[in-house]
Amino acid sequence: MATALAAGTVLGRTSALAQAPRRGGTLRVSVDQAPGKLNPLQHRVGPEYLLGEMLYSGLTRLGPDMSAQPDLATSWSSNETLTEWTFKLRPNVTFHDGSKLTAQDVAASFAAMLDPATGSPARSNIGPVDSVTAVDDLTVVAKLKGAYADLPVAFAYTNAKIVPAAVLSGQMARLDREAIGTGPFRLVSYEPSRLTVMERNPAYYDPERPYVDRVEVQLFPDSAARTGAIISSQNDLMLSVSVTEFERLRNAAGVKALRTPSGQFLNIIMGCDQKPFNDVRVRQALSLTLDREALVDLVAEGLGSVGVDTPVNSAYRFNRELPAKKPDMARAKQLLAEAGYPRGLELTLIASDRPNTRAQLAVAIREMAKPAGFTINVQTMAHATFLDQVWTKGPFYIGLYNMQPSMDGIFGLLYTSNAAWNETKWNNAAFDKLIDEARRTADDDRRRALYGEAQKLVYDEVPSLVPVFFDLLAAQRDYVQGFNLHPRGAVYRIDEVWLTERAPRRG
Amino acid sequence: MSASYLARRLLSIVFTVLVVSLLVFGITQVLPADAAVMLLGENATPEQLAAVRTRLGLDQPVWWQYLRWIGGVVRGDLGTSLETGLPVAGEMLTALGRSLLLAALSLLLMLVIAIPLGVIAALRRGKPADVAIGLGSYVGVSMPEFVTATLVLITLGHPEVGLLPATGYVPLTENFGEGLSRLVLPVLTVSVILVAHVARMVRSELVDVLGTDYVRAARLKGLSPRRVLFRHALRNALLPTITIVALDVGYLLGGIIVVEEIFAFPGIGRALIVAIQQRDLPSIQAGALIMATTYALANLCADIAYAALDKRIRYA
Amino acid sequence: MPDLLRRLLRTPQGAIGLAIILAALVMAIAGTSIAPYSPEQFHPRARFGGPSAAFWLGTDQFGRDLFSRLLAGARATLFYALAATLLGTAAGAVLGTLSAFLGGLVDEVLMRIVDAVMAIPNLLFTLLIVTVLGASGVNALIAIGIAFTPGMARVTRSVALTVRRQDYVAAAIARGESSGYIVLREMLPNVVGPIVVEATIRVAFAVMALATLSFLGLGAQPPSSEWGLMVAEARPYLFRNAWMMIVPGFAIALVAIAFNLFGDGLRDALNPRT
Repeated sequence: MATALAAGTVLGRTSALAQAPRRGGTLRVSVDQAPGKLNPLQHRVGPEYLLGEMLYSGLTRLGPDMSAQPDLATSWSSNETLTEWTFKLRPNVTFHDGSKLTAQDVAASFAAMLDPATGSPARSNIGPVDSVTAVDDLTVVAKLKGAYADLPVAFAYTNAKIVPAAVLSGQMARLDREAIGTGPFRLVSYEPSRLTVMERNPAYYDPERPYVDRVEVQLFPDSAARTGAIISSQNDLMLSVSVTEFERLRNAAGVKALRTPSGQFLNIIMGCDQKPFNDVRVRQALSLTLDREALVDLVAEGLGSVGVDTPVNSAYRFNRELPAKKPDMARAKQLLAEAGYPRGLELTLIASDRPNTRAQLAVAIREMAKPAGFTINVQTMAHATFLDQVWTKGPFYIGLYNMQPSMDGIFGLLYTSNAAWNETKWNNAAFDKLIDEARRTADDDRRRALYGEAQKLVYDEVPSLVPVFFDLLAAQRDYVQGFNLHPRGAVYRIDEVWLTERAPRRG
Repeated sequence: MSASYLARRLLSIVFTVLVVSLLVFGITQVLPADAAVMLLGENATPEQLAAVRTRLGLDQPVWWQYLRWIGGVVRGDLGTSLETGLPVAGEMLTALGRSLLLAALSLLLMLVIAIPLGVIAALRRGKPADVAIGLGSYVGVSMPEFVTATLVLITLGHPEVGLLPATGYVPLTENFGEGLSRLVLPVLTVSVILVAHVARMVRSELVDVLGTDYVRAARLKGLSPRRVLFRHALRNALLPTITIVALDVGYLLGGIIVVEEIFAFPGIGRALIVAIQQRDLPSIQAGALIMATTYALANLCADIAYAALDKRIRYA
Repeated sequence: MPDLLRRLLRTPQGAIGLAIILAALVMAIAGTSIAPYSPEQFHPRARFGGPSAAFWLGTDQFGRDLFSRLLAGARATLFYALAATLLGTAAGAVLGTLSAFLGGLVDEVLMRIVDAVMAIPNLLFTLLIVTVLGASGVNALIAIGIAFTPGMARVTRSVALTVRRQDYVAAAIARGESSGYIVLREMLPNVVGPIVVEATIRVAFAVMALATLSFLGLGAQPPSSEWGLMVAEARPYLFRNAWMMIVPGFAIALVAIAFNLFGDGLRDALNPRT
């Protein structure tokens, strides 16, 4: 399974060694959703992250191994207690409008992210930041509410982009129409329902990159149509491939199907603060009914891996391998009886309609849990209604989460008592303590041990069922070089992509 | 046609648009989950939601929101998209223009195919050709657009066949050939149902007209069958067809929603579906209003065309 | 009535349409009891199968039997379409008759509003209603019924007005019959005919509209086997197993054709003129 990815990567590397990246050309990229928001602080979906990354820069960025790498910040350091971080900025960086980047812009951008009125997802994802202030023109200091070892990684968050301070003071609406960033590309035209065009930023801080002159981001909402477009060479890079189309792409001539294991998962959330899920035996019983191998086939068409009810897998740093969970109906029935439901249990599982894998999983679980005495009614609803009425509130529903940059990112988002989206209401003090201690710990081995213990707690207590992890899938024409599918799913690095001579010439 | 008739018709269109505006506004008010929820997505916190609602004016009384909106509409300002922060009017009118292009080409293709088919069926009444056309038109009207579209997509648009680009849209002004080639499949899909519909209409009208004393008299006068058909019968048979075509514009505007969705054609139907999914109220309101107005105007045009073609009709 | 049936069966459209409708109704009623499998039973080893001895019409992404699902879905598709039409027809008939008999300002206002509502393309109107009500089979049914109402009201009103002006009504009035007698014995039978024809053809629209809503994710919801939903679920697997899409797609088209044929046959039978 890793062969497709490995082949792609190795090929890219070897040709890159054999021949220097070629400059020029137009790269056409297809995406599945309209990048409706241009303001990088407010981006929420993949295609918007793509634009954000091409047009803007952050202080740091996420490497393929989930470590922080320099972007606008060239170096960083923290105090002993990990509560204060200092970032040194790259000199002589200019925004697309010609103005110079200073520490003031960085401070203003972080202030905007933390302001609830901005509505920026960064607010709950960049760590426990209290304030970011400019010390001199090229130095900023981030003061935290508590120790946080992962801050440089958290600052690579998709929404943590730097915009000019001048624009933020009263002119933020401008960012809905124009892009004033420091990114490798400049905005040429923006028509989200169809096409967004960008061109090379000649003033980009890295004189080598980007390699291509021009990038066109085309919208293809329909999955089959999107596949057709790359097979018929209408575009060169397809960033969203559904599991059902992967086989077709793999067999298509001139197309390379890309695949990388990721921490993206579907889960079944159980409200641990209310009946019947407040009884750990009910949660364990349901967990025991799942044939996870079969679910990977049914829901992910085999393009994924089994989960053992913890939200992390081998794609994360510090992951601990835990034993596989196998279906055991007799034990499930017994646990259910011990919990006081010898005659079975009737439940309503809610799945939103987007994407359709949520309903697929719900229907599959309904069938799998039947023999153990669970009667699960599946109820689907519009995604907007789901977000408004069920998500983080309802006791029993299907969740879908992208991989986060760090273990703290995912645990702190979903599982701790003070998590931004504490949907399971598991509120386990021992678990909270482990996560908090890992935040204060700089030593990698110690952190690995702490996270391993935390994982084991989740594994045993099952605050939610995590049966399936999805691999990330993409596709490219074979003349595209330098594109590496990143497991996080929101890192694209189009500035590293180049086209060989065999690429079709386009106006 | 008198000026007062026209004035009355225009007045009734204004009334129609007013009722539609109330209806659409009412519907958008009771949509479960408001725009603030969709705007912030899974990152919403209560205070963020409140802040966004205040910014969007969603916390003001409903009647005030309506008055503010309709006041803007009168001045040509349809509001600002909650999703993109851009003015809705421009987005929606551009999308409408594309949809009208799709509709116009589909109507054209339909006329070119449907009228001859209808004529053949009427002249060969009861013969195999008639039966075949009749059967074909039943199949045509009975297939939902998404079935037809998918069939077209996997046959003609099959990428491995490489006959035609399946989807997407390129403005004709940008690249005429490529733009046109991308219109082929959606136009074909939309035409299928229209052809089936109109061919049946032409046939039955023509059969009626051919049976009238008027045509019999023309035949008895010794006019050639061809002349009888084209100069007398067909003209009269096509008149009612115009009304049907005007009604079909209503279907077109609704039916292309699905076709636009499947072929990723950025017309007004797709814009509306996206707006509904994102709870982008100004876009929903503007889109529905523009569609309804277009439909009303199309009907008016059909009436005028009908009157112009049929001198016998006099409006009081 | 037997006379009408005889005339109906003499038209080829009527005979064929009725035959298909009856077959579909048998499917819908017998449905799950004659199905070889439960429509929801997984067969993980037989996913994406073509027609075979074990699975007559093939299997879907979960290995569920398409034939059994088709049978089970007939009920959701057919009955819902009939109910939606009935709802729209009944509401429209009441509104139209009311408008025609009250006349004057009420008639004018009602018809202006009906015109205005009809200026919203049908599918769009249905879409908006269903978005408000929430996506489900029953809500789709209600939405289609509501969307049908203005059209049916207009048809009913115009038929009622024409009938009122007919000679036999005038004759009945001249004979001094009571208005109750006139409405029930003279007008109603003549009003019902065209409405039934209109309603029958609308069932075909209802079948398609239901399927379209399900296709857009706004109608029936999984694990239902409503035919439109079956098509929607089959779309991603088009290149894996085309049967998943062909079977329900064909079924929808066939039922819609049947109601169109039946409606046309009925019209011919009621108007022996042509």
